[in-house]
This record gives sequence, C-alpha cells and structure tokens, in this order.
Amino acid sequence: MAQLPYTDPETADPVMKAVFEQTVKRFQMPLNIISIMGNAPEVGSKMIQIYFDILQDGAVDWATKELAILKATKMGDCLYCVTQHEVVSERLGVSPEKQADIVGLQYQVSPHYTERERALLDLTSQVVLDPEQITPETWTNVRKHFDDAQIVEIVATIGAYLQISKFGDAMGVELEPVFHGRASVLFEKEPPKSAAAARHLEHHLGATRH
Amino acid sequence: MPAVQLLEKERAEPAVADVFEAAERHFGQVPNLVKALANNPTLCRSITDFMIAGLRPGRVDWGFKELLILKTLRAMKSYYSYGAHEKLAAELRVPEQKIGDLANSLWRTSPRFTEGERVMLEFAEQVARDANDVHDDLWQRMKAHWDSGQLLEMNAVITTFIQIGRIGDTLGVCDPMLFTKPVSSGSSIGSGLASPQGL
Repeated sequence: MAQLPYTDPETADPVMKAVFEQTVKRFQMPLNIISIMGNAPEVGSKMIQIYFDILQDGAVDWATKELAILKATKMGDCLYCVTQHEVVSERLGVSPEKQADIVGLQYQVSPHYTERERALLDLTSQVVLDPEQITPETWTNVRKHFDDAQIVEIVATIGAYLQISKFGDAMGVELEPVFHGRASVLFEKEPPKSAAAARHLEHHLGATRH
Repeated sequence: MPAVQLLEKERAEPAVADVFEAAERHFGQVPNLVKALANNPTLCRSITDFMIAGLRPGRVDWGFKELLILKTLRAMKSYYSYGAHEKLAAELRVPEQKIGDLANSLWRTSPRFTEGERVMLEFAEQVARDANDVHDDLWQRMKAHWDSGQLLEMNAVITTFIQIGRIGDTLGVCDPMLFTKPVSSGSSIGSGLASPQGL
C-alpha cells in the first residue's frame, strides 16, 4: 500500500489537473506515480516535465532510450518501472525476446543488439553501479555512436530513472490495475536481487493469481 | 576534461538563453552542470528548472533540505557538488558542527539533530541503499513529525540528488564556483521557467 495518499484527478488543484491532463494525453491513464505527486503539486509538476521530455523522440530515438530505462530500472529492482516500460518498449518495437536479453551481460552477445545499443547499455550499467568505474573503452564506444547532445540525453535518462524508481519505490507506489496479471519479462529471466523487491514481486504476482 | 563540451551562453542554442538567465539569476552564475546540459536544450531546460525549484525555501526549511542533500551524496558516494552544498548549508546558517555530524553514523547520536531530522536522515540512507525496503515502521515515525506534502518534497530532494550526483559524476563536471555567490531564495513556490509543452 502506498505510504502517502493518491490525489484524485477530479478534485486535484489546477496545477495537478494540468499535469493529469498531460499525462492522460501522453500515457492514456493518470498513473499512480503522478497521483502521489499531488501531495506537493509545485514539486511534482516540475519533476514530471523531465519525464515528458525524455519519453519522446529527441536527440536519441525513444526506443533506444527505453533500453537504457529497462536496464537501469531492472538493476534498481524497480517492479513499477520495469513492468510499465516493458509495455512501452514493446509498443515501440522492442520485442520481449530482445527485452529479456538486456538482463546481466546477455546483451553483449545477443543477436538482438547492435554495437550502438551495446555501447549504450555498457554505459548504463556502469552509471548505475558506480560512475567512477566507467572505463576508457566504454567512453570510446559511446563516442563512436553518440554525439554530445545524445550523451547528455542518455546520461540524463539514466539519472532520471534512478530518481523516479527510488522515489516511487520508497513510497510503495503500486502498479495500476491495468498491469495486474502481467508477469515481468525481465524479472522472470532474473529475479530481483533485493529481498524486499522479491517480496513485492511475489505479492504482485500473488495478487494477480486471485 | 568533461565527457561533453561545456557550452557558454554565446555558443549554446538560443533556445536555452532564458535557461542560462534563470540559472544566473538564481545561482549568481551559470553552474557548469547547466553548461554541460546545454548540449541538449530540452533536458537542460527541464532539469535546470527542477533544480531551481528544489534549491529554495519550500514546505521544508532550505537548510534542512541541504542536510538531506549532503547525506544523500555521502550515501551514494557521489562527488559532484558536495563541497558546494556544504558551503550553501553554512550560508543558510546550519552550524558547521551539525554538517560534520552527517558523517557515517554520527548523526544518530548527535544532540544537534531533532528526532524529526534524524528519522529523515535514516530515510535518506535507506533510499540510497534499497528504496524497496523502507519499512512501515520508518514511515510511521516519519509521519509523526512531517505532513504528506513535506514528506513528498523531501523524498523528491533526496532522489533528485541521487540523479544530479550521477549525472555530474558521469559527465565529469567540476563546479568549483558553485554557490560562491549568493543564491536567490526565489519569488514564490512553483515559479520558474516557462514549459515548452504548456504544463
């Protein structure tokens, strides 16, 4: 159960109403992660703009950014983000088979991935684990495929999804009912490392079996 | 050398001119992080706007928000901007000894922190370690001291500086002049840059 109340879009203040309208327009539903931001609309409305900017074609195409999002949020054991972005990725053409191969180091040898995508995912892994350990080889490969505008977009995307996954998980934000009954491709391939995240996953799957 | 070019206002796209102006107005100068982000005008705008919105008085005292930022950067082993936020906290009249007591577990027994502050530092450490494992008991203790809006704001501050630390450390941004000039307290909650998408 979420630790803070969700805001009802019908009774939200004008700032949050505008956010809900934009959210529904972009994502077809008012999302719990948005609803909980109604506890401090002046904070939530600024924060969510970053995600509206990321979740579209930019200097980097949206589908490629989804790979970084899946990798970063899987490494962070975020059931909420991974489940939603598996659906978004598939809509953008990333097959479940390709999604599954993002886990661990499988993407490095999977035929589903290009060298450009492998460079992106190497960088993503190292940013999530410890930016101090990013190797010269990783930067060389990243620079082969991406310019400065794209590098900023990729690093900002990874950072933003570390933020939103921890922000939501810390408050116990739940998946929306439309996702109930949907097993995660990535977590089926590799269970969460966090014991607490594993309990949340079991609870989610248990709830969907009933 | 940073991973990407730092763009001065003259070399950045005109689309970020007002972002540079807003950053200069708020921070007294344009942070190098903003100059790095300027390679991507869209994200430069939204991230800078959010940083400006967070680094000012809000539902929670700004000085305490700075302590949460410092604890978060420590817990994440982030290097970007730690010294600058120490300086800003001191300017916001947080005693130096209290800033020092953020280290390791000193804050748990330091008399310089209230119970309400201590419980939020415990939260910051837990979110950094494993956000999936924030127990109900910790939330109950947090709710005994803070309302829902304050808790939302503090969670946003903590997680945003996980994000900012990672971006700064990954891009190799050095910001030695950050917060060496007075930082604006802002005109009102929620003010900031215009959104290109009309939010």
